[in-house]
Amino acid sequence: MVETRGLSKRYGNTVLAVDQLDLNVHRGEVYGFLGPNGAGKTTTLRMLLGLIRPTAGSATVAGHAPGDPAGLARIGAIIETPAFYPYLSGWDNLKVVADYAGVPDSRLGDALEQVELTPRAKTKFSTYSMGMKQRLGVAAALIKEPELLILDEPTNGLDPQGMIDMRKLIVELGKGDRTVLVSSHLLGEVEQMCTRIGVIQDGKLVAEGTIGELRGAATLTVRAAPVSQAQMILTRMLGADAVIQRDGAFRLRVDAGRAAEVNRELVTAGVEVSELVSGQRSLEDVFIELTGSEGGL
Amino acid sequence: MNVAGVLKGEFLKLRKRPAVWVCIGILLLLLLAFGYLLSWIVFTYTKPPTGPNGLPPGVTYAELKKGLYPLHFIQNTLNGGTQLGGVLALIIGVLSQGSEYGWGTVKTAFTQRPRRLEWLAGKLVSVALTMLVMTLLLLAMAALTSFVLATIDGGDRTWPAAVVILKGILSAWLIYCFWGFFGFGLATLFRQSAMAIGLGLAYALVIEALIFGLLSQFVGDPVRKVQQWFPLANAQYLIQSFGPPTREVGANPRPPFADATHAVTMLLLYCAAFVILSAAFLQRRDVTS
Repeated sequence: MVETRGLSKRYGNTVLAVDQLDLNVHRGEVYGFLGPNGAGKTTTLRMLLGLIRPTAGSATVAGHAPGDPAGLARIGAIIETPAFYPYLSGWDNLKVVADYAGVPDSRLGDALEQVELTPRAKTKFSTYSMGMKQRLGVAAALIKEPELLILDEPTNGLDPQGMIDMRKLIVELGKGDRTVLVSSHLLGEVEQMCTRIGVIQDGKLVAEGTIGELRGAATLTVRAAPVSQAQMILTRMLGADAVIQRDGAFRLRVDAGRAAEVNRELVTAGVEVSELVSGQRSLEDVFIELTGSEGGL
Repeated sequence: MNVAGVLKGEFLKLRKRPAVWVCIGILLLLLLAFGYLLSWIVFTYTKPPTGPNGLPPGVTYAELKKGLYPLHFIQNTLNGGTQLGGVLALIIGVLSQGSEYGWGTVKTAFTQRPRRLEWLAGKLVSVALTMLVMTLLLLAMAALTSFVLATIDGGDRTWPAAVVILKGILSAWLIYCFWGFFGFGLATLFRQSAMAIGLGLAYALVIEALIFGLLSQFVGDPVRKVQQWFPLANAQYLIQSFGPPTREVGANPRPPFADATHAVTMLLLYCAAFVILSAAFLQRRDVTS
């Protein structure tokens, strides 16, 4: 549904906002576009919608070049905060969007109903709360009955209940054949909503896959003392790349079947092992490893 | 193509925007007050000044009053309503485009279906039609007021020839369109309203008048040859082609330097230039806000 090849955007000679991005979003999935603030998520989404022209590379969105009217007719989008006319009511704002999109007015009621905004449809947009503005944005994105929804940080600025409601709504919208591409810097949110994830850092796509694929095979977690001696033994045994020390524990990228062997080596060398657990890495660990950032956790 | 859809959306926005009606209301009110009522009160209830500040020989208030009657309503409206109306048309043009950048709604529009140039076409047509509405309201109010005043005075209620009325409507519309498109172009260039209104007003009220005022002091009459290529001068030529202001009865006003055909051609060229510049900026630039 969305495919980019070597997509890049450079501002001037210094800022490379997006660097050789190869993104693949499949039909029917809820794809999480995850990255810390300033990683290049919004720039990428703007390029996919034809708002920004790439410096290099290409993209196909809903079967068309970005910004092509035939493609846009199949896409609903919210980029950053939803932008509407403050002096118009929610209904009139949707009417303007529907006129632009060539959609019949009969769709407006359904779209407002879907985001539970019908009771406030006739009041001015300027009087809406942040949550209502965001829901009107979703309604505007839905009036075309799009095959692809592109939502840029849709829970930004919402209160906790608003965030929960918005996530539920996105999951609901992603059911069936519809594809949802949702960007976020919030790991928990992406983990709750998405079937597949792409992680962007400094404009580059550093990982892409299902949550299971990204978390990888089961690993071992070891707590042992003295720490320095344990680290030396584990590094010698498994290699430096396989040993990650964090919060006083070692996370080992080895098959859980080697737990007994690891325990024996440490104990034989006089190291006290207080904990030895097998399990998968959390998405948080994966994100920190990939981006070196704890942003938005 | 979805220009019709854009046009529908733009009409809804302009129709429901209070600022547009405030601008048109101010224009109607000022023309009514200063173009008709105050003059009528002065001509009816006061005596003309005497001495060096007095009226030219043979001119009376009764004769000046005839300028307020229906026969002269086109002339009156063009003389009294186009400069202030131009400024308000500029503001409407600026708001139509500048606010889109301020509210971030350019991205909302461009993520729907219309191509950028279709969106621009729809917006410019809606601005032009708003200018037509403004022109018609203004002239209708002037016609009605002049008729009422003539009736109160028992004066001449003859209307100008239909062709003069039609030319008047088209002339006022063209002048307002020039200002509206000028404002629209400035807002597209600066991607905001404040700078566009500031510069537009500076041009309308100061720049052209200042440049040619200063130059004429040093260079003299040849300045008029240069001035004939500038928009405000051409708007003035067009207005003057309907005859001198009715309050200048008895005076000997300078004839316009260029004729109405020249003025119309120049104003149309300026309108076209603003459309092309707006299209170029809109088409080439990224939408980053």
